[in-house]
Amino acid sequence: MTGKHVEDQLVAFLPNLRRFAVSLCRSRDHADDLVQAACERALASALTFQEGTRFDAWMFRILRNLWIDDGRRRRTAGPQEDIDAHHELAARGSGEAEAETRLTLKSVAAAIDDLSEEQREVLLLVCVEELAYKEAAEVLDVPIGTVMSRLARARRNLAEATGITATPERSAVAKGTG
Amino acid sequence: MMSGEQFSDDMLMRFADGELADEEMAAIEQAMETDDDLVARVALFIETRAQAKASLAPLLAEPVPEKLVAAVEGMIAASRAERETPSSVVPFAAPKPAARASARHWTLPLAASIAAVLGGLAGYWVAGDGGSGPAGLAVAGIVNPSVGDALRNVPAGGEVALAGGGRFRAIASFRDEAENFCREFELDSAGSTTVVAVACDAAGEWRVSFAVSAPGDAGGYAPASSTEALDAYLTAIEAGEPLSSDAEAEALEGLRKAR
Repeated sequence: MTGKHVEDQLVAFLPNLRRFAVSLCRSRDHADDLVQAACERALASALTFQEGTRFDAWMFRILRNLWIDDGRRRRTAGPQEDIDAHHELAARGSGEAEAETRLTLKSVAAAIDDLSEEQREVLLLVCVEELAYKEAAEVLDVPIGTVMSRLARARRNLAEATGITATPERSAVAKGTG
Repeated sequence: MMSGEQFSDDMLMRFADGELADEEMAAIEQAMETDDDLVARVALFIETRAQAKASLAPLLAEPVPEKLVAAVEGMIAASRAERETPSSVVPFAAPKPAARASARHWTLPLAASIAAVLGGLAGYWVAGDGGSGPAGLAVAGIVNPSVGDALRNVPAGGEVALAGGGRFRAIASFRDEAENFCREFELDSAGSTTVVAVACDAAGEWRVSFAVSAPGDAGGYAPASSTEALDAYLTAIEAGEPLSSDAEAEALEGLRKAR
């Protein structure tokens, strides 16, 4: 086993890694530092990567652990940084997208931004990065049941905040006669 | 239309996320054909997933800052270079992942300090009797037979005075992952420096693979900080347990005979 696997995949994976980082810290500058630190850590421990397992899950885990360590240090160092760059998840300059669509999507991004960190990260891993529950559980170091309960709560909050009701079109009559 | 109630929300979420077994997926699909409430409950999960993905897609499309890409590419290049030219600092087989995860984190900053120390160490041996021979102790090209002899003769726990000043103390013997015979030892210079080092037998030569110099008091013995660095190093190379005195004596005898 060599570190080649990691070296070969890292650059192509940067956009995803950065997206995850931005949604964790909600600050692009912070996220870039975090991504760089995660890459450094990944290369240094490239030999721990098992071929045949998901590279993305492995990288997310490294990055998240760094973020948590970082948080511990921040807490012990006392309040010093304002990372509450609110609604950072909303895309910058989303171009020619239809105004209405953009408006809707922005509000979803804002709602995701407003989720607790626990709920946000699980939503991100499963719904956005498409990890299986089991993989997300490994990244987050929690049981699958915890992944599921956080994920369900995250979705309910998201639906509530954005007005996603997903009620199928149907009439009272149809319902009544079933 | 109550049939959908047999399915919990958890199950429907797993359905939306493709986490159910085929039969369960099929059962829900079938129930959805005739159950609007069930459709609505499933739709909530499908919809939130789709919306979350769509709303964060632009973030994925954002160009990664050039500075970040350059930094990562630089690290990758360095990592490749290190892999392709085996380092003399860690010349052993790759440790198993578990040990690596913690040890490796350590050894990176450590490597730099070792390199610096090796420079100082070379000076130490130059200041010794400066003799050279094909089977001496090679550190960055510097050879001192008296240390090599001590490594071949002094059992763990033993101590000898070196020709040219200073003392040699054998701490332990072990085998690394490649089964090379290695010795951990300390050298006190005539002044006040203690060097903590590991040397391994490489085809009749002693190769020093680790060395940290620490200011010691007159009585020798390295302070804790240098032994912490040593521990990290030993973990990184997956050093075996220290050999028993019998096993060590046997190995040392073998070395002497081989000469």
